[in-house]
Amino acid sequence: MASHGVRRFKPVEKTPEERQQELKQIEEYRSLESFVSKKVTAQDFSAETLKKISDLLSRNPEYYTVWNYRRQALRHQFSEAGDSAENVAELIAELIKDDLMFLIPLLRSFPKCYWIWNYRLWLLDEARRLLPLPAGRRFWQEELALVGKMLTLDSRNFHGWGYRRLVVETLKQLGTAEEAASMTQQEFEYAKKMIGANLSNFSAWHYRTKLILRLLEEQNASDEERRAMLDDELALIHQALIDPYDQSLWFYHQNLMCVFDPSVAPRTMAPNLGTSERLQYLRDEIAAIEEMLDGAEDCKYIYQSLIECTLLVSKVAGHMAAEDRTQILSWLSELKQLDPLRQQRWLDFEKTVST
Amino acid sequence: MSLAQGPGRAGGTSSEQELHTSKHVAYIKNLDTRKDELQYWLTEHLRLNGVYWGLTALHLLGHPDALPREETIDFVLSCQNDNGGFGAAPGHDAHMLYTVSAVQILVTIDAVDELDKQGRGANKKSASLQNRDDGSFMGDQWGETDTRFLYGALNALSLLGLLDLVDVPKTVTYVQSCENFDGAYGISPGTESHAGQVFTCIGALSIAGRLDLVNKDRLGAWLSERQVDNGGFNGRPEKLVDACYTWWVGSSLAMIDRLHWIDRKKLSAFVLQCQDPENGGFADRPGNMVDVYHTLFGLAGLSLLGVVDGLQEVDPI
Repeated sequence: MASHGVRRFKPVEKTPEERQQELKQIEEYRSLESFVSKKVTAQDFSAETLKKISDLLSRNPEYYTVWNYRRQALRHQFSEAGDSAENVAELIAELIKDDLMFLIPLLRSFPKCYWIWNYRLWLLDEARRLLPLPAGRRFWQEELALVGKMLTLDSRNFHGWGYRRLVVETLKQLGTAEEAASMTQQEFEYAKKMIGANLSNFSAWHYRTKLILRLLEEQNASDEERRAMLDDELALIHQALIDPYDQSLWFYHQNLMCVFDPSVAPRTMAPNLGTSERLQYLRDEIAAIEEMLDGAEDCKYIYQSLIECTLLVSKVAGHMAAEDRTQILSWLSELKQLDPLRQQRWLDFEKTVST
Repeated sequence: MSLAQGPGRAGGTSSEQELHTSKHVAYIKNLDTRKDELQYWLTEHLRLNGVYWGLTALHLLGHPDALPREETIDFVLSCQNDNGGFGAAPGHDAHMLYTVSAVQILVTIDAVDELDKQGRGANKKSASLQNRDDGSFMGDQWGETDTRFLYGALNALSLLGLLDLVDVPKTVTYVQSCENFDGAYGISPGTESHAGQVFTCIGALSIAGRLDLVNKDRLGAWLSERQVDNGGFNGRPEKLVDACYTWWVGSSLAMIDRLHWIDRKKLSAFVLQCQDPENGGFADRPGNMVDVYHTLFGLAGLSLLGVVDGLQEVDPI
């Protein structure tokens, strides 16, 4: 399929033995495939069929149709499980547990395969649908540890982050309001830990933006508490920006600045700041960022941010002051020097400032 | 059509300026002759996508007849399920990803009427996969939902003139709910912005005629920041470049009239370094294995950029 990041190697002519070997592998694979497909057509979902399905998926986890076969096979086994109500739940739980185990090595080897993640979620939904609440919840609970491990192996895997979000959302639905609130706090700590491990991890910063909103909402936070959170976040990002060349940090900074944008503010962590407060924050911010220029005069992100903040000042104030315009144009001239790749973007922008 | 990697590798050097058209045509034409490789069989779940990628690449290269038309039609129709949707290959389950490729192929070779003549009728399956409450789309009946399927459905249905089967305004609202403060879009509401998802969301809004809802300067800025010093695009901040983003990012920029915000020459030069000058095909990065997916999106990107001669013009949507 699409090969990502596979280093080239010199194509070596295969020996006759190797060719023979490959043909044999093809034959094995195709006969396994045809065996499975015949059994499924005949609706034969015996333990043997499931075993062959496992074999096929281990050889080729991208084969989505076979994941669908597996769903049918599992549903068949669920329907045949046990003879008393108690017994049924226990056996279904056992089947689900085994199947979740089967997926672990596949996820480790193919962490970017959509189909495996989807199948796993389907399985967990089955646990939720078929098992008593505590048993179903336990399965979901254990997923947090798994996805934690996956994100340690690749901290930007967006399948992993999306999966984590879904697991947390589901756990909240399955728990009490109190449990839900403590989960948000726990996730906030998790995102913090991930950012601490690698400041460039924008996935973790993004998660943080979502969790802050959640936390404040769940705590029914007052405007004062919201402002305190904002102050903490500004302090944190300023500290991180000791390395101003990291784009991830600046996107988080940009996200924070939305608090001061009257048209977006209602959807941010501090929606109710007054005009004078916004202006004061922005002026402080501009001063702080200007200081970052010291020793990093060649860092284009600093100029971009200075311009964005100053544009926000004009937006909040309702007009652009002459000195601000001059200031913007001077930063812009630096930017045109420092960022030749996006020359036309800056020229387009210049036209909007000059007029 | 083999989806296997190689055999060649992107060997372009930094001084590479030439598009090796005939090598690429030969590379694609040979893909279906590789049945003695295990990889050919292990990638059967992508066969119909592969035909679309190869066919479209050949059209861009100016060799639209390099794949036999009748055989192509037969193969596409052999992938259709009873429910009207298409699987990746005969006997594979129907899924949105392949249904879109089937429609795109038939439209490209002007054979949509074959759906009624020989197939199971114009495909309405994609319309039935819409969640009528929130406007999103599933990939198949098992329920996976993301913006790739939403774009795919709008694309296929608009090509078939069947857009009225779905609730377009609700689809638009769903896309808007995937927008982040950086102006870009995620795979579902609340998720991190990703260049591939930007393409699906902007493509969908474009088909729905609602590009007016896009914050073009903000998104354009985010997209233009995907270009890194070697000229290539990455898909998210602080990630590696990949030739396929030339298309996902480039066409998104074109749809919002901001393609001139990046350095097209430098980007083209990067993509050319991803080609294998000896055996044809493109890879994700210089020095890596080539495949038909990166071949199409590398070529489509080059065509869009208009710096290199010899390619048919591509429509960004």
